Amino acid sequence: MSPGPADRALEPAVWARFLPVPADDSGDLLFLEGLLELWCRSRETAGAALYVEGERGLERQAAFGSGTFPRRLARTTAGPGPEFERYDLSGGVLLVRPLPGARKASTTDSVDLLLAAGVRLARLRERWKREQFQANLKGVELDAVYEVGLAIASTLDLERLTEEILLRAVALLDARRGALYLLEDDEFRLVSTIGSAAHASFTDDGGAVTAAELLPDAQHPMVTPILVEGRRKGLLAVADKESRQGIGPFSSADERSLELFANQAAIALENARLHQEALEKERLERDLQLAAEIQRRILPKGTPEIPGFEIAGWNRSAREIGGDYYDFIPLADSQLGIVLGDVSGKGVPAALLVSTLHSAIRLLIDRLEFGPALFHQLNRHIVESSAPNKFVTLIVGRLEAATGRFGYVNAGHNPGLVLRADGTLERLPAGGVPVGLLPQASFLSQELTLEPGDLLCLYSDGITECTTLDDREFGEDGLIDVLRTTSGKTLQDIVDWIDGAVTDFAGDGPQGDDQTVVLIRRRG
Amino acid sequence: MTESLKLTIDRRDGLAVIYTEGYINNQGGEEIARASYGLLDAGYKSVLLNLAGTKIVNSIGISILIEIIEKMLEINGRLAFCNLTPTIEKTFHIMGLAQYAGIFADEETAVRTLSQ
Repeated sequence: MSPGPADRALEPAVWARFLPVPADDSGDLLFLEGLLELWCRSRETAGAALYVEGERGLERQAAFGSGTFPRRLARTTAGPGPEFERYDLSGGVLLVRPLPGARKASTTDSVDLLLAAGVRLARLRERWKREQFQANLKGVELDAVYEVGLAIASTLDLERLTEEILLRAVALLDARRGALYLLEDDEFRLVSTIGSAAHASFTDDGGAVTAAELLPDAQHPMVTPILVEGRRKGLLAVADKESRQGIGPFSSADERSLELFANQAAIALENARLHQEALEKERLERDLQLAAEIQRRILPKGTPEIPGFEIAGWNRSAREIGGDYYDFIPLADSQLGIVLGDVSGKGVPAALLVSTLHSAIRLLIDRLEFGPALFHQLNRHIVESSAPNKFVTLIVGRLEAATGRFGYVNAGHNPGLVLRADGTLERLPAGGVPVGLLPQASFLSQELTLEPGDLLCLYSDGITECTTLDDREFGEDGLIDVLRTTSGKTLQDIVDWIDGAVTDFAGDGPQGDDQTVVLIRRRG
Repeated sequence: MTESLKLTIDRRDGLAVIYTEGYINNQGGEEIARASYGLLDAGYKSVLLNLAGTKIVNSIGISILIEIIEKMLEINGRLAFCNLTPTIEKTFHIMGLAQYAGIFADEETAVRTLSQ
């Protein structure tokens, strides 16, 4: 467009509105404002504004002159107020504010033709804005799916991940509400929710789950399963798609988007779950190692020196932490306390009970009369401080170096063996009930005397019940054979023989229980 | 997370801060628009939206925020955002809001910039 003779009166500033063609849509706005300025200058008009159809009615596109023009107009033909004149154009509305006393404008001259072009431009501009918005939104959608994919590699925190997945799914689909469930012990449990009440949990019976069951308050719910290797591991539900007009149902494209999202989420969630399991396992192993270290420290570092006696102790745990325990406690008047116990169970709980027992015996053995009184107190302590199903089979003895007398109480433990110097073998009498089993248990004190050359062997059932792969037991006879074979050897040699014998006997079979031996021999 | 957005407005000298808590969707966006236009009518030309309590914005909420930005630009006012989650900040950049509205990491920086 170039200025014609009739337009020469227009100021260059007005024409400057039409001439530049900027890269963005700001030139369109200048153009529209220029048209409105032309209208106002060619008529007795204080101001004018141009409206075209938008998402929420007639939207103001451009305005010129004095006075305020509303942002939106109703689609009815009535104007917004008496100070305005309204001209309905094809696809738009021109709203003008005339000067006081001005004549109503004619709508048939060349400026009107320009205005018609302006309306078309304004509508194109509005459409461009909408398309730009949708294009940007597509970018956000792609980013959301990409980001969840990225989270597979970067986010291993299950709680954060579930929240992130639901937030992105709800935002991506313009849902008003949503809920995410994960399968745990055959039950779908709600792990994250947005915008409404959702069922906390329900049993997975393998049947179809409707979205309405998950989000009972929703009007337009939609659900998709989160599948890992074809199995339902979770449910992703959204509801009530929003628009500027309110809420409505989701489209089939939305359904596909939710499925795509659930697929991505499935991988991310599975990775996070596996990572959490690995962390838990690692933590458990660290706990076990720590507990094992504590238990190793509880066991005697060496053997005590008792005049006229040889002493040896040996322990091998079936797992990193076992339930077997032995101790040597030096007492007054060259006496020695000897302890061998087997706590029910394995692992950390057994180690805790061993620790409790160790402390209790060490505290009480000097303070109470040796015998049933000591055991009654120990029994009460263990009953009160451990779980109901926890108990200890236990032998606690007191060796008098001067006389060779060995007084002891056996609470449900394997009876020990005495190999006399002349080769005869004696079994100690069977004991009473284990410590910690019954609150009112009674215990019996017993005694034997070790003569020069006699060997006392206390052991745990991990020795005699050591089995082969075909379920044969080493047995008490196996232990007696070793003791007889090694009668002239040092106690350390005997321990090594017992170790070798049970290891060879078990072959490739796993060690099912802790193995402990305490040997006491009176020198000849 | 609550059904509707909660707003708190802190009116200061020439600047108002709107704190949001919850979902900026159609309803939440309209709440923010109502509050913002009320502030404009009261003469505030700088409005800061502190989104520390918001983790989710959908496209309807964004379209309403764009309208608020356009309205602010018409009157030479300024709208800014602070304390956005990384996801929301990225969304605002992709949707073009960052071209016309300031985005700040924290409220202190935003207030200092808007007060200049």
